[in-house]
Amino acid sequence: MPTHDPRPVPSRSRATRREFLKRAGWTTAALTPLLAGRRRAFAQTASPYPDWMPPSPNPPKRGKLLTRASAWDPPVLDPRLTNSVGLSQFAALTSNRLVRYPYSDEAANTTDLTLKGDLAESWQGSPDFRVWTFKLRKGVKWHNVAPLNGRELVAADIKYCYEQYAKEGVQSFTFQEIEGIETPDKYTVRIHLKTPNTMFPQNLAEPVSIIFAREVLEEDGDLKKRLIGTGPYMIKENTRKVRLVLTRNPDYFDQGRPYIDEYQILSTPDAATRLAAFRSGQSDIHFVASLSDAANLKKTTPAAVIQEYKTVQTVFGLALAQDKPPFNDVRVRRAISMAIDRQRQVDTIYGGHGILGWGIPYFYFQDKMPTAAQLGPYWQYKPAEAKKLLTEAGHPNGFETTLFYYEYFPEMSSQVQVVQQDLKKNLNIEIKISKLDYTTFYGRYADGKWDGMAWGFKTGYATGLDEQTYQYMHSKSTKNYWRFSDPVIDELVTKLRRTPDRAEQRALTKKVFDREHDQVTRMWMPYDAGFLVWQPYLRNTGSLALRRNDGYGASTLARLWIDK
Amino acid sequence: MAIATAPGRTFEGPVTDQVSRTRTLWAAIKRKPLGMVSAVLIVVLVLTAIFANVLAPYDPLAAQPEIRLAPPSWAHPFGTDDIGRDVLSRVIYGSRISLWVGLLAVGIGTFAGMIIGLVSGYWEGRLDLVLQRIMDALMTIPGLILALAIVSVLRPSTTNAMLAIAMVIIPGNSRVVRGAVLSAKQNRFVEAAQAIGCRDYRIIASHILPNVTAPILILASIWLGNAILIEASLSFLGVGTQPPTPSWGLMLSSTGRAFMEQAPWLAIFPGLAISLAVFGFNLFGDTLRDAWDPKLRRKG
Amino acid sequence: MYKYVARRLAMSIPVVVLSSLIVFGLMRVMPGDALTALMGESGNVSPKELEKLRRDLGLDLPYYKQYLIWAWQMLSLNPGDSIFTNEPIPVALKKSIPVTVELAVLAMILGLVIAVPIGVISATRQDKASDYAGRVAAITGLSLPDFWLGTLVITFAAIWFRWIPPLGYASLWTDPWTNLQQFLLPAAVLGFRLSAATMRMTRSTLLEVLREDYVRTAWAKGLGERIIIYKHALKNALIPVITLVGGQFGTLLAGTVIVETIFALPGMGRLTVEAILFRDYPIVQTNVMLVAVTLVTLNLLVDLTYAWLDPRIRYQ
Repeated sequence: MPTHDPRPVPSRSRATRREFLKRAGWTTAALTPLLAGRRRAFAQTASPYPDWMPPSPNPPKRGKLLTRASAWDPPVLDPRLTNSVGLSQFAALTSNRLVRYPYSDEAANTTDLTLKGDLAESWQGSPDFRVWTFKLRKGVKWHNVAPLNGRELVAADIKYCYEQYAKEGVQSFTFQEIEGIETPDKYTVRIHLKTPNTMFPQNLAEPVSIIFAREVLEEDGDLKKRLIGTGPYMIKENTRKVRLVLTRNPDYFDQGRPYIDEYQILSTPDAATRLAAFRSGQSDIHFVASLSDAANLKKTTPAAVIQEYKTVQTVFGLALAQDKPPFNDVRVRRAISMAIDRQRQVDTIYGGHGILGWGIPYFYFQDKMPTAAQLGPYWQYKPAEAKKLLTEAGHPNGFETTLFYYEYFPEMSSQVQVVQQDLKKNLNIEIKISKLDYTTFYGRYADGKWDGMAWGFKTGYATGLDEQTYQYMHSKSTKNYWRFSDPVIDELVTKLRRTPDRAEQRALTKKVFDREHDQVTRMWMPYDAGFLVWQPYLRNTGSLALRRNDGYGASTLARLWIDK
Repeated sequence: MAIATAPGRTFEGPVTDQVSRTRTLWAAIKRKPLGMVSAVLIVVLVLTAIFANVLAPYDPLAAQPEIRLAPPSWAHPFGTDDIGRDVLSRVIYGSRISLWVGLLAVGIGTFAGMIIGLVSGYWEGRLDLVLQRIMDALMTIPGLILALAIVSVLRPSTTNAMLAIAMVIIPGNSRVVRGAVLSAKQNRFVEAAQAIGCRDYRIIASHILPNVTAPILILASIWLGNAILIEASLSFLGVGTQPPTPSWGLMLSSTGRAFMEQAPWLAIFPGLAISLAVFGFNLFGDTLRDAWDPKLRRKG
Repeated sequence: MYKYVARRLAMSIPVVVLSSLIVFGLMRVMPGDALTALMGESGNVSPKELEKLRRDLGLDLPYYKQYLIWAWQMLSLNPGDSIFTNEPIPVALKKSIPVTVELAVLAMILGLVIAVPIGVISATRQDKASDYAGRVAAITGLSLPDFWLGTLVITFAAIWFRWIPPLGYASLWTDPWTNLQQFLLPAAVLGFRLSAATMRMTRSTLLEVLREDYVRTAWAKGLGERIIIYKHALKNALIPVITLVGGQFGTLLAGTVIVETIFALPGMGRLTVEAILFRDYPIVQTNVMLVAVTLVTLNLLVDLTYAWLDPRIRYQ
């Protein structure tokens, strides 16, 4: 029993903490058992910030400049070659996809994933879900810059893009399931798939499936130098490591929008500088990873508007080289999973606000967040059993291994070190940690030839269910960074994409979820999606689940306006 | 190339023997308060490093996430860090790492630099030309960039950071030693010894080396401070010591900066430790120079 | 004199060549090519594509051939493109060099402006309170890590003054006012460290010079303290100081790396570090060679100036 008061929420003074608890209302009751050190059944504490920003009731004002200090420099402008958020943060505004998800001012709630037409006006699937026909909007114009010069978008453009995606690069696995594309007329695209997929349109709605210009690829030989699209903004200036300036496209097909004239993204690699930029008014949108960071910001900048970015899934977890010993033995994986106290990570490192960790957005299979019990027997913290199981698997004295990671945010380093401690204490597994820079980490991890462990991820953009399951979990997929090959999962996810009935989909997804936790194929770790911070004069802000406004969900910024 | 550095000043006149050298140093320390301060700081640092396991109240690696980010209190005089480890204990053990990094880096760098400088300066000729050109070439690459490149080649770790820093030290050291050797050679004692036919190594040992030790020690003490700083910068860039090692540089550059506003003690204490250590070494180097460089002694 | 010049020039060339070998060697020995890094971002580049890329970049040739090709590129002033962005290196350099040069020059000026007066005071009042204060301040400047000072400055500027230097680099020629605002703080941070070393140097060389015979004669003659210091002593004391500052140029460039990252300036330091981490060989090699050549030239000029000023050196 600790001799002093364990602090679930780090704060500067006792008064602040009391104030926060008072405001949080019912959470005081929930936190009291926490203070006494007991385990809680709920996965997440409520925060004092809303996770939903209703659209503004006032008429929008036009003009003005939006700026944002960004951590990410785009590596390349070529959407075939990268999934990086560094590109999506503005490519989502310069370009469109065939279909999209709702913007913040048209969504019913934060998990509203009703497909809406972007370049397509309507679409239909054949009864066997192998042929998908999209009817394009008429009169959509490419940006009025050479060599497109504002010509109209036609079906042949879509066909060209998708064929290019299938040829090479990160999207190829998704687009290689296309058998052929017909364009019977200028505004109709008919796609034939090799195998049925009820969720194919969702794949096209992913933020990375943007439609790029054929002329640019043919003239330049690649898409690294110019990014021209049909979207609400055009690139006015792109100075590497300095800033990217987007200017309003006057011929955008969504008449009257966008509202803001110019959006500047300033390259700011240092976190302290980004925060300082927000505080001094040079940046309009900011992101903080933890509740305590948000509280701290609010104290010094009371006018800031903070929104909780709803956490529906985890992106990070403990990845094991499970195609080789010792991790190819499911007993070893289960033992490791039971030796890590994840609830404690949520309670302490995330101040109770993080989630326990699971890899598929929960709303795809149930209405409420999974409880600890639902995560299966091998998720529970049972160090004695873990030790027994590991001994059974042939490692009574543990073993040595390595773990490499990149510090995406400071809490991750805390988690890695706590896991190192847990495994050493409970299983005598010695982990040597390597903290790497982003490029070395990403390259080594994506290469898939590393040994030992990594603090791995699945790429953070996936919104659709098929992407989350089939594209990420099938043994043959190139996006399966976790290097597992499970025939049961293969079968389940293939069946899933052929199931049109919603209820059946949910049941199947739940089965995938259960199987994943049973086999410990991906060992998810606690996570907190964080908080978005807005300057008070922004309207129609509001980040929806899985679509963060400053990153992959940037397309919604076309509906943003400034009231100054 | 004649880039003047104060410690490279040559000593004319007869070689003083070791005993009186130490005596003059002690006299300088007693006389100048700043010298005393620096000596005290260094002694404290070394003692802390040696007796870390006795002095530290907790295990520096023991994580207690429940009490994370706690401000300084009686139980934890320096507070706790992002996973509840006692900062005081980590700072105490950190002295071992910093001293280890510093001593090894500077030790290797100084020793290697000394050998190269001795060889270069004593035998001159073509060997000297080649060696000095290589040293010059190394010196054209800015120190941090060179260290970063070497650590990237060798994979980030404490040991490799040390080796990288040693490589940065060698060229400058070799040049200073060479200068000292060259001037010592002009000494009539050396001429005489060579005329008699004394073996080279004897000449080096009895006449050259004593002249060389003073500038080396002065440089070394200053480089000890720099080594700690370079290690901190490498950690900032992400290629230095690895977690969970309680190195001051890692503490300052990672958790210190990340939680600067919410938990400033995470940066203040390691930062103070670095500053005091570097301060002590630099000041000590100054004192050494004041003690041993006859030109700077105040007359009358 | 000409023989001296010729000799010094002849010695500089092997140095440059050796530097190039060192840099080239380091880059080649690094684990994980540029290709793995590239591939990491790109994901699924097929082995065939990878081979083609390798051939295009010339990475499949034996090392000595690669070196010769690169050496030729350097000599013909055509360093090629960045592996990562395909942007021609001269374009990247043209944008980043002015930033670093401006930062370095401002830092040196600020450093000297702080250091010399304090050094003078310290030396003339040796062992008194102001000497201690000066020396303590100087050594504190040397003891604080750059990144720490930089972070402190920018965080508390935002909290206390609600102001930080405007982000988004503006060139000195197009927008001098914004430019100066952007460079003041980072130059001050860099200059603070530089001033520490310079101050100590000023103090020690001035101390020496003040003991020289000609200064004592001036004292004896009854000349005022100020005239002695500024007219006679300082001029001679400043020569080694200027040399030191020239030597600090290398350290300065290293310091810009960190300051450029924190203050979001697109300079050469940041470019080089990111290129090392990205394994973008062409950029690293070119940048380091550029710095090396600059330093060698600078040293050459300094030595020649020395030789011209002090005839004794010429005849060594």
